[in-house]
Amino acid sequence: MASLPLLKGTLDVLVLKALAWGPKHGIEIIDWLEERSGGSLDVDDGALYFALHRLEERDHVASAWQTTDKNRRARYYRLRPAGKVYLREQGAAVVQYAQALTAILEAGS
Amino acid sequence: MNDRHRFELGLHRPERARDEMREELEFHVRERAARLEARGLSPDAALAEARRLLGDSLDTATTTLGASAERKERKLRMRDWMHDLVTDVRYAMRGLVRRPGFSAVAILTLAIGVGGNTAIYTAVDALLLRALPFQEPDRLMDLVLTGPESGPTEWSYPKAEAYRRGQTSFASLALYASRPMTLGGENPERITIETVSADYLRTLGLRVARGADFGPAVDAGPGAGAFALISDGLWQRRYAAAPDVVGKMVQLDNRSYVILGVLPPGFRGIAGDADALINLTSRDAESLGEAWSLEFSMVGRLKPGVTPEHASAETQTVGAEVYRAFPQEAGTLTTAKSFEWGADARAFDSIRVAPGLRRSLLVLFAAVGLVLLIACVNLANLLLARASARRREIAVRLAIGATRLRLVRLFLTESLVLALAGGVLGVAFAWWAARALAALNPASALQAQALAGGIGAVSFEAIRLDGSALLFTLLVTLFAGVAFGLVPAIGGTRADLSGGLKDDGGAPPPARHGLRIDRRALVVAEVALAIVLLAGSGLMIRSLVNLLRVDLGFQGAQVLTLRMSVPQGSVAPDSMPGFYDAVNERLGALPGVRGVALADCAPVSGGCNGTIMTFTDRPRSATGNAMVGVHWVSPGWFALMGIGLKRGRALEAGDRRGTPKVIVINEEAARRYFPGEDPVGRQVGVYQGGFHTGATIVGVVGDVRFGTLETPAQPDVYISYGQSSPARAMVFVKTDADPASLAGPARVALGDVAPFAPVYDVRLMRARVAEATGQARLSAGLLAGFAVMALALAVMGIYGVMSFAVTLRTREVGIRVALGADRGDVLRLFTREGLVLCGIGMVLGLAGALVATRVLRTMLYGVVPGDPVTYVAIVVVVGAAALLASWVPARRAAGLDPVRALN
Repeated sequence: MASLPLLKGTLDVLVLKALAWGPKHGIEIIDWLEERSGGSLDVDDGALYFALHRLEERDHVASAWQTTDKNRRARYYRLRPAGKVYLREQGAAVVQYAQALTAILEAGS
Repeated sequence: MNDRHRFELGLHRPERARDEMREELEFHVRERAARLEARGLSPDAALAEARRLLGDSLDTATTTLGASAERKERKLRMRDWMHDLVTDVRYAMRGLVRRPGFSAVAILTLAIGVGGNTAIYTAVDALLLRALPFQEPDRLMDLVLTGPESGPTEWSYPKAEAYRRGQTSFASLALYASRPMTLGGENPERITIETVSADYLRTLGLRVARGADFGPAVDAGPGAGAFALISDGLWQRRYAAAPDVVGKMVQLDNRSYVILGVLPPGFRGIAGDADALINLTSRDAESLGEAWSLEFSMVGRLKPGVTPEHASAETQTVGAEVYRAFPQEAGTLTTAKSFEWGADARAFDSIRVAPGLRRSLLVLFAAVGLVLLIACVNLANLLLARASARRREIAVRLAIGATRLRLVRLFLTESLVLALAGGVLGVAFAWWAARALAALNPASALQAQALAGGIGAVSFEAIRLDGSALLFTLLVTLFAGVAFGLVPAIGGTRADLSGGLKDDGGAPPPARHGLRIDRRALVVAEVALAIVLLAGSGLMIRSLVNLLRVDLGFQGAQVLTLRMSVPQGSVAPDSMPGFYDAVNERLGALPGVRGVALADCAPVSGGCNGTIMTFTDRPRSATGNAMVGVHWVSPGWFALMGIGLKRGRALEAGDRRGTPKVIVINEEAARRYFPGEDPVGRQVGVYQGGFHTGATIVGVVGDVRFGTLETPAQPDVYISYGQSSPARAMVFVKTDADPASLAGPARVALGDVAPFAPVYDVRLMRARVAEATGQARLSAGLLAGFAVMALALAVMGIYGVMSFAVTLRTREVGIRVALGADRGDVLRLFTREGLVLCGIGMVLGLAGALVATRVLRTMLYGVVPGDPVTYVAIVVVVGAAALLASWVPARRAAGLDPVRALN
């Protein structure tokens, strides 16, 4: 299946959603998103880190160096209270948007 | 504190963000490749794919993401910093609110210090610093002739023209001279006129607001026609701002001038009080061609690229040529030793205010700065005391991981919050003070004290609290906040961890005196600074007292003065004595008037006219002649002003035109020019009023101070209005009632007898005398105010330290008393300590004062900077204050119950 590029605002919401399940490093976030979407989401690796910087600036996420299960140093991101609020609000908006798209596209077929 | 940074990452610098990003990406690529390998790719292909997924190339991704990470890190740091600041400010505010007494004292102290500094700064800015309101004012120079004895003087038209032709430094040169003239019309009015050359406005870089400037043709030569540019104020007042004023005629001293244009609003000539400019070429060739009629000031605009130094040097050279072109005429007399004249050029800005005023302002500025410094020292002292009371809190903060830097910052925030609160209040105070200063309008007072400056734009009216003053306030406030916050911040956070946590927060271990030594040093500094201020103000007050005690030589308390000026042609020269008689009679008939007299110049008016006097029976010489002030008076003036006759007779009503010319001299003239001789009956020549041909001295009267209050009387001669009648006169009216009540009736009476003569400058003689001491009273008053503040602050400091010492040493006192010390011993112990601190401060302060008060030398009258009376008085006052300030806490110590003290 061809994968569609993600809209910027949508990526932010998805990253926050991933982190809502617990702190993750970059690859783990990608893993989580691919797994949840059944591989249909193509997350641009570079865009992910830009998104993380953006979210950190807005105090939606915080980051810290920690060791992984395999004893490697990795930068972990976790959700901050402001991020939770944002996820709740924007998540709902993205769902509404997706529903609208679905309604339009399916009506034509 | 922001938990993300402090507890997860710790502090790190934005520059490190790039390295971390690289590390994060390396991890990312490794993990990505591992996952791809798991899906069956070869290790090399997996790695390549992982890199490809990051973007065009790994390097590009690292660079752009690195930059992004660094940007993010900077923003986060800024956010944390702001966050910490808000927290610190909140904390500081809470602390201040919790101690309202301390906060109020601190804020008020600062408000006075900062407000005083800002207020004086507004004056310094307006009078000394602000750029002159002309185009590129630093390219303007003031040009002067220099006489062999008289210093800088004005130019005559021929000399100025000779200079103009000889010089190459200036792009344009303009002449100007200001004098009063009578504006004709319905209500004749006395206004100030500036007589100028045509390129006057162009030299200053100004343009007319309407109409046209003087054209170059106006400067072609004398007799070019009479033209005027009127001030915006006169245009509004006399012409109701009529747009067609250009081309109309204006009557000045009974002559018509064509109005060419209106000056820009706010510009009233360089002297600042002119209501019209007229072209100097309106004068005839004869009056303008007089080479020794030195009446014009000259301002020049430097050519581009010419330095002021070069222009000054060239002016000196050309000045010598000008003198050779116009040598002293044969038969001319001078008071100087020789005739050599020259010329010089100096920065136009240098004549903005008189040197005396500049000096007073700078002294006040320094004094008010010292007050602020003392206030800062005092606050540092108070905060240090608080810091030691907070040793436990500080120790806890250090123990749970706060850095010392962080604590210093917290303390500084507290003092800056205090300072800013004080600053805001100070601005309110300064706004009020600046308005008060601007309203002083001491133009005539400055004149009376010979302090008037040359440039009218530089006046007290220009004093205002503007952006530059507010910037100054902000800087002063920040400086104050750091100055008084840093010492306690550094001293207070030095707390030893274990000690602060262990003991009860009260007494530090006896072996450690660090804190107390700091505070003692501050008290010593406070006392020393206060002594310097007290010395300065003490000297100024002594000087003021001397000034107020000066015997001016006359009694003017019940006298009203009115100035009048008879326009040319209104009264025939021969009728002038009769005209003045009529003025005397008409005013003398007013009810309540006890006497009327005339003089051409009032006492303590800053300076009157003078000339050369020769002696008929002595050999004549062109140089080294006697200089005398010349005063026209009506015969009754001496009696009216209570000036005693010392020898011979006074001027009498019978001394008229046609009778032998007589003069009266003052005692100073008799002393200086007739030592050991009787001047009465001697023949002299006075080079004014037609008296150079010879006049007989008929009497000697007491000295009167005509110049400034502090200048002793100069040799003076008096001529009767009956024998020689100038067109100007000041009418002196004496009454037993309130002299101010005569102002209205006297004006009306003068209007009856001389409707053509404007009456102006109506003031009480005692107001004139008060003005003459205005500057001295203001300086002494302000300095005294500052000194009292300084003393109060120093006393507060001593008291604070001593009561703190008593608290610290409660236990020690208990032991002493338990071991047999009596109340007197304890009292002496603490009092002595306070006095020792004060003594050290005094010695340092006195040494400093002896040096610092030297700058006052020229401002003092009848007292020297090292005046022992002043210093003894200060030592007594400060000593008594210190004794009291340490005796009160010492008494508390002596009253301690040993049982409770030891518990």
